[in-house]
Amino acid sequence: MAYSDKVIDHYNNPRNVGSLPKEDRNVGTGLVGAPECGDVMKLQIKVNEESGLIEDAKFKTFGCGSAIASSSLATEWVKGKTLTEALAIKNTDIVKELSLPPVKIHCSVLAEDAIKAAVTDWKKKQGDGEKF
Amino acid sequence: MSFAYVEGESLLMGINDVAVSSGSACTSASLEPSYVLKALGVGEDLAHTSIRFGIGRFNTEEEVDYVAGRVIEVVRRLRELSPLYEMAKEGIDLKSVHWATEA
Repeated sequence: MAYSDKVIDHYNNPRNVGSLPKEDRNVGTGLVGAPECGDVMKLQIKVNEESGLIEDAKFKTFGCGSAIASSSLATEWVKGKTLTEALAIKNTDIVKELSLPPVKIHCSVLAEDAIKAAVTDWKKKQGDGEKF
Repeated sequence: MSFAYVEGESLLMGINDVAVSSGSACTSASLEPSYVLKALGVGEDLAHTSIRFGIGRFNTEEEVDYVAGRVIEVVRRLRELSPLYEMAKEGIDLKSVHWATEA
């Protein structure tokens, strides 16, 4: 299989690898996929309490090069965004940016799901009274 | 051979100067884990982490040592990237986790 230069770059130099404290009130964690399916992504966001912007994002991924690249790119893209902007990131944007072939589209879907799961987790921690 | 917490294709990508394959010869072109390994009783999770190494009579000991060294290097790097490895280190039983399988 031929990987695009961008996928290879993210694989060799993944951005924002690591973990944020998942008990932190301002941290939202998304864990998607399953070991039996060959892909698991963990994506975390840290939301600034005052501005409501995503001030930090980290990921760890078990999966092929395209899955690693999709989640690495997702962390780059969500940083500095509002939650609404982050939720607007579509898997097709990731497919386009990384030139993913059809058999790897599920990797981009998983990355989009991971962003959504992280935002949902953050929202759950804030309760109902939050305005972001 | 299986390398727990490291997905096979990502390992192949890291040792791209060595000719190896993920899964059995029968399924190397597919993304599905090897049905041969599954028939041998290997779980689906571990089947996704398997690499097939082929050694012939013209291979040297130096070549084997070289490949072993490369594999160790890449497995270490990818484990640092693996959420499963992190969870296992925290003592979480991966089999007990309720995985959100694709909707």
